[in-house]
Amino acid sequence: MDIILPELSGKETEAVITAWHAKEEDPVTKDQDLLEVATDKATFDVPAPCDGTLVKILRKETEEVRAGEIIAEITES
Amino acid sequence: MEILDLGTAGYTGVLEKQIDLLNKRIAGEVPDTLIMVEHHPVVTLGRLGAESNAFDAEYFEKQNIPVVPSRRGGEITCHAPGQLVMYPVVDLKNRKKDVSFYIDFLERTVSASLNKIGVPAEHTPEERGVWVHEKKIAFIGIALKQWVTYHGISVNLNNDLDPFTRMDPCGRKGTRVTSAKECLAREVNMRETKKVFAEQFARDLEKAYGGIKLEEIWT
Repeated sequence: MDIILPELSGKETEAVITAWHAKEEDPVTKDQDLLEVATDKATFDVPAPCDGTLVKILRKETEEVRAGEIIAEITES
Repeated sequence: MEILDLGTAGYTGVLEKQIDLLNKRIAGEVPDTLIMVEHHPVVTLGRLGAESNAFDAEYFEKQNIPVVPSRRGGEITCHAPGQLVMYPVVDLKNRKKDVSFYIDFLERTVSASLNKIGVPAEHTPEERGVWVHEKKIAFIGIALKQWVTYHGISVNLNNDLDPFTRMDPCGRKGTRVTSAKECLAREVNMRETKKVFAEQFARDLEKAYGGIKLEEIWT
């Protein structure tokens, strides 16, 4: 399953990845905070959509991502 | 909605209280809560603040003012007694999920509260924060977890403005700041002013997330 940056705002469509809370091959549970992104005045924790394993991180810390962009992949368990 | 007035308290202890409330709000154990507090002097660095911000480290060290990293958005700011800090822990999960809309709401409700105590403050679409003419009076930096908000907005009321001259507030060089005290040429009553801000916040939250357009609320 793809981890997609959710739409955080109608005005700001880009955010910077400020921290990954999990690494590749880590088991994750639904709603666990996977990563933190920041816009100009806000930070937002992106949760895991399901139980599973974080198999691939596609975008790294300090990278800018757009709403709707795939940032990681999880295999569902 | 509940109001939690913590009086004057240290930054770290209040942050722990916020996190506790945040987790309870996510679990649906508590209602939306507005924390109101004045902090002991402290400088905080938001997630985009890191080391890049210009601030006079020697001044803050001499004044014994700690510099604390924070997980909120935004860059550098400072808090001190006489400044009202508002930390709304509000669940947006089943409301309008839009970070910019929420920031607009916070800026507008603070601006309206300042107007009520006689300060000609404005929310402007060009610059974040709340302004009185060219001077900044309120500073914003928020965070969200599972669409529940924490951190918030600080408003200069009676506090000393000197620490702001020792930094680039919010990372913007040359930003001039002001306070309600400077605008009104007198101190404001903190207790009464907190009540004005809390009532305005509760009313505006209801309206902003009740389907009324933001622009229609404050006209």
